[in-house]
Amino acid sequence: MMAPTVRCDQLSVWYGRHPALKSVSLSVQAGEVLALIGPSGCGKSTLLRAINRLLDEVAHIRIAGNVWVDDEDIYQKGVDVTTLRRRVGMVFQTPNPFPFTIFNNVAYGLRLTGKRTQSELRRVVEASLTKAALWDEVRGKLARPALSLSGGQQQRLCIARALAVEPTVLLMDEPTASLDPLSTARIEDLMGQLKGQYTIMMVTHNLRQAARVADRTAFFAKGELVEVGLTRQIFTAPSDRRTEEYLTGRYES
Amino acid sequence: MIRQDFGDQLVELEQELLRMGALVEDQLRAAVRSLTERNSQAAREVIDDDDRVDAMEMDIERRCLTLLALQQPLARDLRIVSTALKIITDLERMADHATDIARVTLVLENQVFVKPLVDIPEMARLASSMVRLALNAYVHRSTDEAATMIRLDDDVDHLYSAVFRDLIEVMREHPQAVDQGTHLLFVANYIERVADHATNIGEWVIFMVTGERKEVEY
Repeated sequence: MMAPTVRCDQLSVWYGRHPALKSVSLSVQAGEVLALIGPSGCGKSTLLRAINRLLDEVAHIRIAGNVWVDDEDIYQKGVDVTTLRRRVGMVFQTPNPFPFTIFNNVAYGLRLTGKRTQSELRRVVEASLTKAALWDEVRGKLARPALSLSGGQQQRLCIARALAVEPTVLLMDEPTASLDPLSTARIEDLMGQLKGQYTIMMVTHNLRQAARVADRTAFFAKGELVEVGLTRQIFTAPSDRRTEEYLTGRYES
Repeated sequence: MIRQDFGDQLVELEQELLRMGALVEDQLRAAVRSLTERNSQAAREVIDDDDRVDAMEMDIERRCLTLLALQQPLARDLRIVSTALKIITDLERMADHATDIARVTLVLENQVFVKPLVDIPEMARLASSMVRLALNAYVHRSTDEAATMIRLDDDVDHLYSAVFRDLIEVMREHPQAVDQGTHLLFVANYIERVADHATNIGEWVIFMVTGERKEVEY
């Protein structure tokens, strides 16, 4: 087995006095899709945010334990958060393209790195849009405003923007929650194409989506990682009573 | 609300399964009784009832597929519905065996048995009680009940061996009874198959409760 791309060791997070994550230890293998499921407030989004240090700016936050990404302990002093976030891309629930052209949205992160020629930018923008399964729909329209795209296209644009800076990990926080079933299916297909090349961690409330897309699924409740296993196993015969109750709609938090 | 609706539909599904099981149990008893009494009329009724069993199988199958499509159950709920789908297949096969036995009644209707039937009705009694116990285990979600029921299969197998030996002996002593003896051997075999199908149901119940699919050792 390959070395894990992401590894959390006894990771705990408190918002003030409230514990949001309780000593979570979890490894995510390179190229796999891991779904994080659980009732609201169970800590799954907190975990996702901990992995590219989006929690750093939250007031009264306390983080204990370790997170490694590609063998780098990301909470050590001296870690460059900008570089980390380039390696660990994030896609949010609501598509959030910048109010620029389609081209400039995808090129944005590349320009931040500073040293790209126009032809190189074009090449990477096309490659990223192709990987995000959007190129065929937007070629010849790259100068149009990103906000003129449909919701589903905007979300794929955001994925292209994340891919442009060559991450190894993609974090997706309910990436299809605001999309219609067709756009949702396109994003799910896309995740199928991206897995293998990228390590994907996805928070979803859509259990069937987790079942369709994820290689493994982790169930969280009250800040604890209750169980993690092959999606096939978790969805047909989970080992913990709480997982069983959650999947059958009988969980009471 | 949706969960409540799903729960109600599961209860209805169970009731239909129990009805189908009760019908199959009756058929098996009636088929063997028609044979011991050589009652052709009763045998024809068993054969006619097979259509009812087939219709019930299709109805329950439709209910299960609808639940899978609309409620998309997971985990234990998924196992409950998929187990129901497996159980109806076993019940339907049992009903086919009851029909097979009734057909033997029609073949032997005017014959005098060389030896009174004792073990075959006993096998049938055991096998049909296995059917009832298997369905009770399903409804009670009880691995203990399933395992207890499965152990009865041993008794059926022992009786089958005894019937087999007896009939071979009878056919040796009365060569003119080979035709009758062969048909009765088939009957014993059909009943033994019914018990095997009940055993299958018990194993599916254990899967439903534990999530593990394994043959029970007994």
